[in-house]
Amino acid sequence: MNKLKILSKSIWVFHFASAACNNCDIEILDVLTPRFDVERFGVKLVGSIKHADAMLVSGMMNRKGAEFLKDLYDQAPKPLAVIAFGSCASSMGMFKVSYNRVIPVDEIIPVTAYIPGCPPRPEAIIDGVVKVVKKLRGEI
Amino acid sequence: MVNKVKDILKGKIIKWEEKSSKRHYIEIDKKDLRSAAELLFRKLELRFCIATGLDNVKNMEVLYHFSDDKTGVVYSLRVFTDRDKGQIPSIADIIKGATWIEREMRELLGIEFTGAADTSRLLLDPTWPEGVYPLRKDYEYGRKEPRGEDSCRRPNIKIEELTKNGKKTKIIPIGPYHPLQEEPEFFELMVQGEKVIDLNINLGYNHRGIEKIAEGKHWDQVTFLVERICGICSCSHPYAYVNAVEDLLGLEIPLRAKYVRTVIAELERVHSHLLWLGLAGHFLGYNTVWMWAWKYRETVLDLCEQISGNRNHYAMMRIGGVRKDIFNSEIDAMKEKTASLVPIFDLFKGAVIDDPVIHARTKNIGVLSKEEAINYCVTGPTARPSGLDQDIRKIDILNGAYQLVEWDVIVCQNGDIFDKTVCRVLEMYESVKIITQCLDKLKGLKEGNIWEEVREIPPGEGIGRYEAPRGEVWHYVRSDGGNTPVRHKIRAPSYMNVLSNELAAVGGDVSDAAITLAAVDPCYCCTERMQAVENGNVKYNWEELLRLSEEKTKRLRGELR
Ligand code: SF4
Repeated sequence: MNKLKILSKSIWVFHFASAACNNCDIEILDVLTPRFDVERFGVKLVGSIKHADAMLVSGMMNRKGAEFLKDLYDQAPKPLAVIAFGSCASSMGMFKVSYNRVIPVDEIIPVTAYIPGCPPRPEAIIDGVVKVVKKLRGEI
Repeated sequence: MVNKVKDILKGKIIKWEEKSSKRHYIEIDKKDLRSAAELLFRKLELRFCIATGLDNVKNMEVLYHFSDDKTGVVYSLRVFTDRDKGQIPSIADIIKGATWIEREMRELLGIEFTGAADTSRLLLDPTWPEGVYPLRKDYEYGRKEPRGEDSCRRPNIKIEELTKNGKKTKIIPIGPYHPLQEEPEFFELMVQGEKVIDLNINLGYNHRGIEKIAEGKHWDQVTFLVERICGICSCSHPYAYVNAVEDLLGLEIPLRAKYVRTVIAELERVHSHLLWLGLAGHFLGYNTVWMWAWKYRETVLDLCEQISGNRNHYAMMRIGGVRKDIFNSEIDAMKEKTASLVPIFDLFKGAVIDDPVIHARTKNIGVLSKEEAINYCVTGPTARPSGLDQDIRKIDILNGAYQLVEWDVIVCQNGDIFDKTVCRVLEMYESVKIITQCLDKLKGLKEGNIWEEVREIPPGEGIGRYEAPRGEVWHYVRSDGGNTPVRHKIRAPSYMNVLSNELAAVGGDVSDAAITLAAVDPCYCCTERMQAVENGNVKYNWEELLRLSEEKTKRLRGELR
């Protein structure tokens, strides 16, 4: 049986923001509030990585934060879907020349899905969630 | 005032440069710096804005900027020192608000500040190699340093039982990572029982080196870069930056562009204040307020999208004007939408002013007195509730429509969280007033003509300011006539405001800490351009703190019945 399939109902999400510009983080909260309301699909932000099925990573990895990301990933119960959220997390965006950068998220931990955009629109986020669910079910 | 300054600094001035009636650069010797700073700050009561460090290759230069908040004139003290082992006397004991910037200049530029109490690192991690200064000119663009094992080590936390005044003290870490804080930030509260006795703020978890990146981007590209300093102030930073460049050029932009700039900037203020109000409600245990506020915030975002094409990063500003015009045919519908916000503010105003529980939770909590507000150099909605009448929009924005429309600055007197909330709610009304008037005026103007062509940026320096939702944003640029800025200094309002938490939170209850820390509406992305709580005597985490806060609300609600 595809183990990942169990995750595809009511995904609980842990949000990790490392040196983001705040916009990605706000759009994440935004999809939880009444207009977009992803809670109707059972998606919920949780306070501990131990409760999470998925981890959203936003922002560029900087020297003070990168190690935390690795630690958190190690602490999480597997399987865990990791979503690189926004241009910064996907490719480091315009911060790829910063002296305080480390390496892109996908070189630190395995990434399941990328949601591009700066910041991604709420519709794009919901589309991303749907794609992650499909992937977990083994449909794509 | 100019004469007063000339008078008081008599004998110290080496060179007085008047760039324009609002910008004065005063060169002095570094041995006179302390006395000059004290005179300007204490005697003339000028507000210390920030210091800018520059690497001129042949020597180091530091500019101390002081602002006269009545007239909007900026006086900058200029001092020089050697490049290698350069030393400048510290002024942090005279002006509290200079503490962080001195630490920052020390680690990024390698200037020593003699007599500074705290010389530890502020932004860089502990494994950053000694003697490597990223903002110096010989540090190549795009270079990167090897990273040691424990670059995430927390700088100065000791999780062990401390004893202070014979009582047991514990440390409560808040952060750096928690989903309730949207950004990484890290506070250590030292508590005795329920009382907070000390607070330690750690920065650097959000540092991205934007000032260095700007040095490698074209003047026009920098507007997009500074937009990405912070998602909520994504109009204020570009606004201040273009103001700085236009100050350098001495340029005045077309009238229509002024109105468009003002509309988008004020829309941003409304959505930012709504966002804060929602979060404040959440911290106090009123989750309904959170959902409401964010629901109505969407209306504002829709308007922004209609004007700029994007919900958040608007990309509206360009040097010499704005990038996109507002269509006259759409203005009526926009006005209607803006007007629909007023009943919502009424609702929030009623909720804040009438609710006895909110009174009990916020009155006389986290008080920042007027003297302390001056000493810590706070700005914006952290300063105005403490009785300081300062608003950059009134005094120092040439290329905006603030002088052409009618509106008031909101000033409260008590400096507690209640006043901070009231101040923000009332400010939203003012913003709507401004937006409506601007839209009216736009309708009477012909479309088009929204920018002035700018071909070259001549050598020189410029200072631009803007009143962001959280306070004064400060940009300083210097050009050598090339395609990119030689130095671009950015100071966000939270940089000054967050430090004042040291004061506001200390002495309060643990259950009030969540709202007190949130009351300055901190924005760490701006400030720095920070879960793993380890074992030991960690008592509460942020969640727990929030629970405590919510319980207190519940208890009070019960008692008040
Ligand atoms: S992707 Fe864009 S919006 Fe998201 S954190 Fe990066 S700069 Fe900000």
